[in-house]
Amino acid sequence: MTDPVTVPSADTPAEEFLEVPGGRVHMFRAGEGEPLLFLHAAGGAGAWLDFHRLLAGGGYDVIAPDHPGFGKSDDFPEVEAMDDLVYHYLDLLDALGLERAHVVGASFGGWIAAELAVAAPQRVGSLALLSAAGLRLPEHPVPDIFLMPSAELVATLFHNPPLAPAPAASAAPDIDAVLAAYRDATALARFSWVPFLSNPKLERRLRRITAPTLVVAPSDDRLIPVAHAQRYASRIAGARFAEVPDCGHAMYFERPAEFAGLVLGFLARNGLSNGVSR
Amino acid sequence: MKFSFFHLMPYPYLPDDFDETYASSSLTFPNKHFDPKLGTQLYHRYLDELEYADTLGFDGVAVNEHHQSAYGLMPSPNIMAAALARRTSRARIMVLGNAIGIRGNPLRVAEEIAMLDHLSNGRVDSGFVRGIGWEYFAHSINPVKSRDRFNEAHDLIVRAWTSEEMFSWVSPNYEYRYVNIWPRPVQQPHPPIYIPGAGSTETMRFCASHRYTFMSVYAPTRVVRMWFDGYRRAASELGYVPDPEKIALSIPIYVADTDSRAHAEARPAVEWLFRKGLKQPMEMVNPPGYMSPGSLRGVLMTERKPFSALSYEELLADGYAVVGSPAAVADRLGAMYDALGGYGQLIGLFAIGPSTHEQVTRSAELFASEVIPALRPLGAA
Repeated sequence: MTDPVTVPSADTPAEEFLEVPGGRVHMFRAGEGEPLLFLHAAGGAGAWLDFHRLLAGGGYDVIAPDHPGFGKSDDFPEVEAMDDLVYHYLDLLDALGLERAHVVGASFGGWIAAELAVAAPQRVGSLALLSAAGLRLPEHPVPDIFLMPSAELVATLFHNPPLAPAPAASAAPDIDAVLAAYRDATALARFSWVPFLSNPKLERRLRRITAPTLVVAPSDDRLIPVAHAQRYASRIAGARFAEVPDCGHAMYFERPAEFAGLVLGFLARNGLSNGVSR
Repeated sequence: MKFSFFHLMPYPYLPDDFDETYASSSLTFPNKHFDPKLGTQLYHRYLDELEYADTLGFDGVAVNEHHQSAYGLMPSPNIMAAALARRTSRARIMVLGNAIGIRGNPLRVAEEIAMLDHLSNGRVDSGFVRGIGWEYFAHSINPVKSRDRFNEAHDLIVRAWTSEEMFSWVSPNYEYRYVNIWPRPVQQPHPPIYIPGAGSTETMRFCASHRYTFMSVYAPTRVVRMWFDGYRRAASELGYVPDPEKIALSIPIYVADTDSRAHAEARPAVEWLFRKGLKQPMEMVNPPGYMSPGSLRGVLMTERKPFSALSYEELLADGYAVVGSPAAVADRLGAMYDALGGYGQLIGLFAIGPSTHEQVTRSAELFASEVIPALRPLGAA
């Protein structure tokens, strides 16, 4: 287990739209230091939360883009599948002028982070996978989030569901909000309807990852069983594994300080200036 | 006016705790509740009813496709059409339709419909649907690709039917190096095409530009009117007035000798259809990407109640179903003809939920003998 470090909090991010091939990417950016590309979970587009503030305050230039078709990023219809998504993020690193960056990905974003580190190991200075999707483990199935009613989804994502924001039951449904959520879900389905939230070839490709890697799992993950994180840790050479207790798959929504502390502690020992570490 | 007898082939024997225990009669409703003995009896009973409708003078008998569902027992409508082809002689055999959005190999649909055209001596009508949302779960097809798959499959099938030369087909979702179907269809240039569905702007433009028949699905009269107007507007923009037969109202119909008997018998059947048969949570009906943003906005803005929230009285008053004596049903359908700005085909769902064989055949007999003659002159070109 990595020791959490004390970090300053709070930072107001800059909101930017970055032109890359195929459209515009919406992103938040804050903090000074080595670049840290944060790849959000399926439900995390457009979010700048305590977790992000803590990372930025911990001495990193945190870049948090919305994935294609998510949040305020353009649709990027030609980004059809995970391989396209990897090229998209290589384009984004190019557009930012970043030769290498720390890459932190959560859930769906963790899957992208792992694929990026497989495809372009030299671009990833260090890698943190927070309960990453992406592995196909039929003996440890991921429940079908596309078929879950929203109340059940909240109960599945959180260790302690009351921490989830309560939906305003009496308010009239906000059509724009429904459409925005449907657009995010549509973008997720584009990459993960079948094979479901996974790339069957990813596991055997993980040997290509050269970055120092931290794999983190919340102890009570009811969406992506902890066995997935364990498999990632066992297939990536030298990977460290950590569990956050009393936490569900919502991770940085539910326990932002713990997740930020683990990631910062790991990054502190793996600066980009270390060069290719292995 | 043309009249068709449409069958869903429901499995009505649901467990007593269905309402409390199961989210839907589709996709996740365990198939342990399917009794094979009862199932065999149902298939033969339902085919008997379709064959009987042919002898009663209906212009068409219609089947459709659903998967993993007690709502309808026809995963392959083409098999049911084949069973009817040589046991009927007069009525059109209407496949309404093949769910080409979820087919792995749409060329197979072109081949099977062409075969059916021969078996039926040129009586087959070919409907194409995208497939309901839950069927994208059931057959593991990405709903985000639904509309593209439908459009590409449609273009491929029509070209396969009409080309007299071998060709290659390349589109984003399908690739065939050799398309050269045997048999070619009997009807030239190809069997008539029907598009059942909700009348989004995209769908109506598609129907009108190809001059296909649009067929409505369960909806209140005010919504069906918007769809039919959408077809007429799209045709007008293309510079023509559609033949009335290209606009089809499909609706559950129940007829008995008297109004009171009709309502007493129809109420449980209609309630079964809308509360159990059509029990589908939103996640099943509308998976991600299945609807375009514009269509979803339209649906959200029409503020329709879910089927389960509609009382029997509301279902009748809003025009989801028609029930009554022959005179009352003729009056109601005539009034709906006016309210809808006209239509040229009526596709009636006569076997509703748990209705018995005797009820269904009696309803069809009364409709054929007393309602059809009264309505026949409407909607003539």
